[in-house]
Amino acid sequence: MADSSWLQEAVQATRALGLNYAFVLDAGERQAFARGLWVTLQLCAVTLPLSLLAGVGLASGLNSPRAWLRRPTRVFVELTRNTPTLVQLYCAFLVLNLLINQQLQGRAGNPLTPFAWVVIVVALHKAAFHAEALRAGLQAVPAVTLEAARSLGLSSRQLLLQVELPLALRFALPSLVNNLVDAVKMTAVASAIAVGDVTYESIMIWTQRDNVLELLLLILLYFGLLTWGVSRAGRWLENRLRMPGYGT
Amino acid sequence: MPATDAPKNPPQKAVPTPLVSLRDIHLSFGANEVLKGISLDVLPGQVVSIIGPSGSGKSSLLRCITGLLRPQLGTITVGATRVDRLRHEAELIALRRRVGFVFQQYNLFPHLSVLDNLVLGPVRVNGRPRDEAEHQARELLQRVGLAHKAAAYPGELSGGQQQRVAIARALAMQPELILFDEVTSALDPETVGEVLTVIRELAEDGMTCVLVTHEMRFAAEVSDEVVFTEAGRVVEQGPAARLFGNPQQERTRAFLRRALGASLGSQSYAPDNKVVALPIDRFRFAI
Amino acid sequence: MAHDTHHPGTGQDAPLWPWLAAAVAALLGLAAWTQFSASPPVALQQLAKWLPTLLLGLGANIGISVLAMALGTVAGLLIGALSLSTLAPVRGATRLYVQVFRNAPVLVLVYFSTYVFPFELQLHHWRLPFPDWIKVVLGLALPASANVAEIFRGAVQSIPSAQWEAAQSLALSRRDIFRLVVLPQCVRRMLPPWMNLYASITMATSLASLVGVHDVVDAAQIASNTVSRTDFTALIYASLLLLFFAYCYPIARATQALEARHARH
Repeated sequence: MADSSWLQEAVQATRALGLNYAFVLDAGERQAFARGLWVTLQLCAVTLPLSLLAGVGLASGLNSPRAWLRRPTRVFVELTRNTPTLVQLYCAFLVLNLLINQQLQGRAGNPLTPFAWVVIVVALHKAAFHAEALRAGLQAVPAVTLEAARSLGLSSRQLLLQVELPLALRFALPSLVNNLVDAVKMTAVASAIAVGDVTYESIMIWTQRDNVLELLLLILLYFGLLTWGVSRAGRWLENRLRMPGYGT
Repeated sequence: MPATDAPKNPPQKAVPTPLVSLRDIHLSFGANEVLKGISLDVLPGQVVSIIGPSGSGKSSLLRCITGLLRPQLGTITVGATRVDRLRHEAELIALRRRVGFVFQQYNLFPHLSVLDNLVLGPVRVNGRPRDEAEHQARELLQRVGLAHKAAAYPGELSGGQQQRVAIARALAMQPELILFDEVTSALDPETVGEVLTVIRELAEDGMTCVLVTHEMRFAAEVSDEVVFTEAGRVVEQGPAARLFGNPQQERTRAFLRRALGASLGSQSYAPDNKVVALPIDRFRFAI
Repeated sequence: MAHDTHHPGTGQDAPLWPWLAAAVAALLGLAAWTQFSASPPVALQQLAKWLPTLLLGLGANIGISVLAMALGTVAGLLIGALSLSTLAPVRGATRLYVQVFRNAPVLVLVYFSTYVFPFELQLHHWRLPFPDWIKVVLGLALPASANVAEIFRGAVQSIPSAQWEAAQSLALSRRDIFRLVVLPQCVRRMLPPWMNLYASITMATSLASLVGVHDVVDAAQIASNTVSRTDFTALIYASLLLLFFAYCYPIARATQALEARHARH
């Protein structure tokens, strides 16, 4: 293949540094690793927006005037925020999934793949943090600004959509972006239930080739790239939504 | 110290029905009674100033008129509406379209440009088409001298400029009446003047205004009626010339002594351009 | 600055301890029932049997978290102090360290420390085994230190410059300003985020099960595989969740109480 020559050169160069990247020369392993990169990207692409949606849902539940909605939501949020993601994943995949399979008795296929479970668990875990960030953002909206909006004759709904939520979002944005960066890193737990993300594929390769350090460096670079991308997007959004002169 | 020669609109001579009528308002925050039986009338086209020490409930009174606070006792009438009887949000909204409010802290929406701040109410609440609302907004900005700041954001404006935008925002709703809640208290002394100018022009154009203010000179100059409240009650009220020139109650005199201070001199500011000699021996300043 | 909100039920409207108290009471009731009843469900009996193992495993998690946090705090404070150095290369190096170890997934760092460190240390002719749990401690100490450095830097920078100016006008040296003015105030500001970090590190110790440490997660997995009953599996994983919750939630509440107290200053 035409590109094998530059790959060989690259492997030679790294060998000079004492790193063994020979696995990239093996087509099967190279493709497995590339697949892992792609799966991680997919995990992030699906989980991040879902977590934001779920976060908004949880936030509105937390702020609901109805106690029957508010209390269970708070219990859920506190449970999710104060227990490890790995344990939540096991509970979801090893317990809930098992129960679902038992109920289905092999009739119809269980639509929830391990990939789906990782997405659900990580998205809900992060949604709890988003909900807290949004709650703090809503609290930070000065009561007097809401008073002014009310005195103009805006209805409660208009107040929420035109004044309260835009301001709360701007206040909560740095926290939300931080949470999304955390979510990217959290997708690595997918390897614990054998979802073929980059961590899992790397484990498969290094158990054969014992080049743990080399693979970890690649993984770190890749995650660094993804988190940098999310941070940049966050900063772009912050700039777009900034309020000139605010706070001065 | 200049005497103004702003002509005032005389109150209606025929049997006047007040635009705003407050009767025996009692308001408490928890155990703290803030208003202890206030009664007040504001005739259409009148400018009424409410003065008094801090904590006498003046701001709360204004908020009762527009339904932001609900008194425990008493009646509030704006036009034909019994404000204290309003229950539903739709009714309160209908009231607030007719009553403008300008706050001490301007309270502009920081995420919207100046123009958008002015356009939000007319478009969302009054249902006016956007271009018509924008056209009117620009005219109002012209009127308050800030047409060049239409695209700016509130955070980029000075306090005085923000307050003028806030007044324009209240005007954009085309209200029958505007309430001003200590609108110059948060401003630098240099910028107070530009805001008072706008209010003076509004008063001259016949807008019904109720001002809560510490600017005694301005209150004397622009008001038809001045109300002095203390500790939640009306102590004295009357035409500006009489209240400032010849206060009947000792508490009024004591307050004016403290508030007007050494800059008083021997002149007071009567609306009809007559310089009224103050009985200065009543005011002994502690030096 | 106190903002009164118009939203019912923001923050901790209903305290959670009544619910928790009820849950604990229910669990104790169940435990008593299994001990004294003639025919309690098998799953509960097994749970009672495996509970000591679980608790032992949890002790391992807590031990790892405490050590990792202690190490991370010492290292983090050092790095945080260096990040405020007047020398640009030093600042750059610390920035790089913090960026790398804050942006790396914790799982990757745990794998890193487990596989990259040697199996055993050889000192002259002594062979010291390098057990896995120490490697996990080191692996978790890395992100802990990076975060502590950030917390420290953030706390120092949050001291208003007016304080610096006042101290400088009193002719205090930079060292003295730090020692007498800045650091005492920093400690108070650092405490809530530091406590949050500890809770995160404790939850991250669950990853130790993936590298062969016999922690509480590993114990639960062994139990589940041994007993091999669906209802027991559900029960043991639920217990696992509740065990972590019982440890981490009080920390979170204490942190919030601390923050609320200082917000009034």
